[in-house]
Amino acid sequence: MKKEIIKFILNGEQVEVYVDPAKSLLHLLRNDFGLTGSKEGCGQGECGACTVLLDDLAVNSCLIPAGKVSGCSVVTIEALSRDGKPDFVQESFVEKGAVQCGFCSPGMIMSAHALLKQNPRPDAMEVRTAISGNLCRCTGYKQIEEAILLSAEKLNK
Amino acid sequence: MPIITENITREKKTETDFQSPEVWTKVTGKAVYGNDFKLPGMLYGKILRSPHPHARIKKINLGSVEAMPGVYASLTGAELPERPYGIVFDDELPLAAELVRYIGDEVAAVAAVDNETASKAVEAINVDYEMLPAVFSPREALKPDAPQLHEKFKDNLAWERNLLRGDSDKAFREADVIVENTFTIPSVHSTYLEPTVCVAADDPYNGLIIHTAVQSPDAVRVIIAKALELPLSKVRIVGPVMGGGFGGRVYGNLKLYMIASLLAIKTGRPVKMQLTREEEFLVGRPMIAAEMHLKMGFKNDGTILAREADIVTDNGAYSAQAPWVSKTLSERNDSVYHIPNIKTRVRLAYTNKVPTGQYRAYGNQAANFATESLLDMGAVKLGIDPLKLRLKNCVKTGDTTVHGLKIKSCALAECLKAAAEEIGWYDRKKGYGYGISAAIHASGSLVFDKNFRGAAALARLELDGRISIFSGEQDYGQGAHATFTLIASRVLGISPEMITVYSRDTLSSPHSIGALGNRQTTIGGKAVQMAAKRLRELIVLTAADMLEDPVVMEKGTLRSASDRIVELPLVAYHYHSLTCGLSLIGEGRYVPEPSEYDETGYGNIAVTYSFAAHGAVVEVDKTTGAITVHKIVAAHDSGKIINQISAIGQVFGGTTQGLGMSCYEGYLFNKGEVANASLADYRIPTSLDVPDITPIFIENEDPEGPYGAKGLGEIVQIPVLGAVANAVADAAGVRVTDLPITAEKVYQALSGWECE
Ligand code: FES
Ligand code: FES
Repeated sequence: MKKEIIKFILNGEQVEVYVDPAKSLLHLLRNDFGLTGSKEGCGQGECGACTVLLDDLAVNSCLIPAGKVSGCSVVTIEALSRDGKPDFVQESFVEKGAVQCGFCSPGMIMSAHALLKQNPRPDAMEVRTAISGNLCRCTGYKQIEEAILLSAEKLNK
Repeated sequence: MPIITENITREKKTETDFQSPEVWTKVTGKAVYGNDFKLPGMLYGKILRSPHPHARIKKINLGSVEAMPGVYASLTGAELPERPYGIVFDDELPLAAELVRYIGDEVAAVAAVDNETASKAVEAINVDYEMLPAVFSPREALKPDAPQLHEKFKDNLAWERNLLRGDSDKAFREADVIVENTFTIPSVHSTYLEPTVCVAADDPYNGLIIHTAVQSPDAVRVIIAKALELPLSKVRIVGPVMGGGFGGRVYGNLKLYMIASLLAIKTGRPVKMQLTREEEFLVGRPMIAAEMHLKMGFKNDGTILAREADIVTDNGAYSAQAPWVSKTLSERNDSVYHIPNIKTRVRLAYTNKVPTGQYRAYGNQAANFATESLLDMGAVKLGIDPLKLRLKNCVKTGDTTVHGLKIKSCALAECLKAAAEEIGWYDRKKGYGYGISAAIHASGSLVFDKNFRGAAALARLELDGRISIFSGEQDYGQGAHATFTLIASRVLGISPEMITVYSRDTLSSPHSIGALGNRQTTIGGKAVQMAAKRLRELIVLTAADMLEDPVVMEKGTLRSASDRIVELPLVAYHYHSLTCGLSLIGEGRYVPEPSEYDETGYGNIAVTYSFAAHGAVVEVDKTTGAITVHKIVAAHDSGKIINQISAIGQVFGGTTQGLGMSCYEGYLFNKGEVANASLADYRIPTSLDVPDITPIFIENEDPEGPYGAKGLGEIVQIPVLGAVANAVADAAGVRVTDLPITAEKVYQALSGWECE
């Protein structure tokens, strides 16, 4: 496996890493940058637990080869809270009881951010569609949907 | 929107909403799950699995695997003493010694610097197999000429039970109406989102420490110590955060833990092992599959006279808890209604397939599908409204059921009426199908260990006035710790923010049977209540001693008769210096009345029982068979609700899982090979599949549970299956008796076209 230097913006900071470009972005984040907030539920693009923002779009980071993020901006769950204070989406998830085991939560929250960036006033159906690639086995999605609608309300206040 | 009923007057209450502060670590990505955990010098382990359903290992050729760069050790069954272990029967080995019995059976393992190296090394191992004939159908397996899996279990019969109550032959002779049918339920996987993972570390000082999130760490520790012949006090389990359990992780993955431990001992380095999602499906212990032939007899007025059952459950290659699950599956449902005469035969058969375990409602959900479907078939034949039929026969407070369960509190009739009303049962719209179904579930099961029925907890006053609760009951997302916090907060009269519950280390937590049998709230919660009560007494005594005056405790403050005030930290310090370092600790234990049952299993098997009735509204497209589930109403008697936000979450989540089992999920096998071992092929409900779910709580106070509460987490899944099946049958005019109920099967039933 031949390594390459990959430069990209990670959580707002310019970074550079010497790595096998075929390695998945998820493993790059988790293993090389120690950002373990993005979870691996399947490694095959089927669960959404690894969702991060790639140039503001929600992607399954387990499917993205590290080489592909060169020159892009990647945002992970770790970047959302500022000075130890959770952001409005994270707060809404807690307020609405949208978190049980929490394994899906980082991915869900990233998908919510991607949605709100594109559509700040989503309706329930748009929320459901936006998170349809994020599996949650615990909650039945209802409180997650409510949390994202509440986030939108906060955003528009 | 949830409807919360207080003695059936509807009002919403919010003062009971509380979440463990751990939730903040989860939304910020800081919570440490098993795979996030690392130790210095840690290696990674991988397992070589059998590609054959049944074979004899002739030779394992390790070749130069151990010499490969980055490989630290390999391990085969031949190196290990042949000491079988198990949960009910000792029928498994950490690594196969001679025989492999299913596709996925553990054959050899490797520890290496990283996962990739370990995977490559495992692939380089060469195994010579001698193929053996295999058997995949449990009914076939029970035939005398079938291939044999285990020497000790003749005719592949792992377990059998014949149960007779009353005289069912006579009752069927007297019955006016008889219905019978066969129902089949495939194996289903809990599909917790986090694949199972552990890190095992061993050194002479600490002994073996396994970092893994498992529902019953104490039970796992005992099994592992015994199987690996290690002193029990030198095996410790420390739990990272658990990414879901649902009963599928009561014992976690014992083989994974043992292999990681053996590799750690062999290499002297910590070893991490994680199942891939595919491996989860291959070896992750799904719930047993079942084929249930049921027969029910009624009087013309709808009185149920008798129920007969011939049930075969599919064990897969090894047994785990399958006998217990088969037992619950075959009988718990009999106690929803008055059924005076019962005849049941249940046989658990070994097959060359994925070994099984359990899932959330312990087989009761599978039985609900069969029984409640049959009940509706009875209603049609009798010409009686299905709701009326249920109301006529359902159990109530004060009853002792056919199997001897003592019903101390029961609002089942109210649940049925509430669910029916909420789905519009009395005003059914044309073009839609309506279904209802009822359930009972043990709340605080006493049968897992006759000598260890209850639970213990410790409540410690810290020097800063905060309270630490130590309990052996795990929280894997279902909110047990928030409930415990609320219980302790009520007893002590201090805010929940001042209380922290710890459970994840077998070294510091009291021993517990673990999170199964809906023990958490009823038994574990009660122990916390007792511990907090004792601590409160000790605090008051100590403060009285300090102030030399009787005191009362109010809102975390102690006030003497002469109006002097002392705060909790001072009380803590006082005791601390008095004893030169001890803390005030309230020990709490809850030891329920022994459950007395005879050799036929007749008797009361749980502290109390939860009840529920669900109603479903569906639409079926008669040209394609496509099903749309519009609404599920989940009416529950779980006693008093202690934590509303988590109770509602349990109902949404458990109902959705029930819907998954009803319409989507199930293992598919092709000659013993799992044909849908991925989340793309084994489909669980997504956000687009979930209907409108309405939780209703009928809050009757239970005399046993802490603050009148009963279990909820398991029962939520049960009545969904019957309700959806009945609603689909109502809409389609034909009945699918084989789970999951898919469009294809409805279409086949509609067109009268039979296919395999
Ligand atoms: S881990 Fe990436 S989609 Fe499941
Ligand atoms: S909260 Fe457990 S998977 Fe979503």
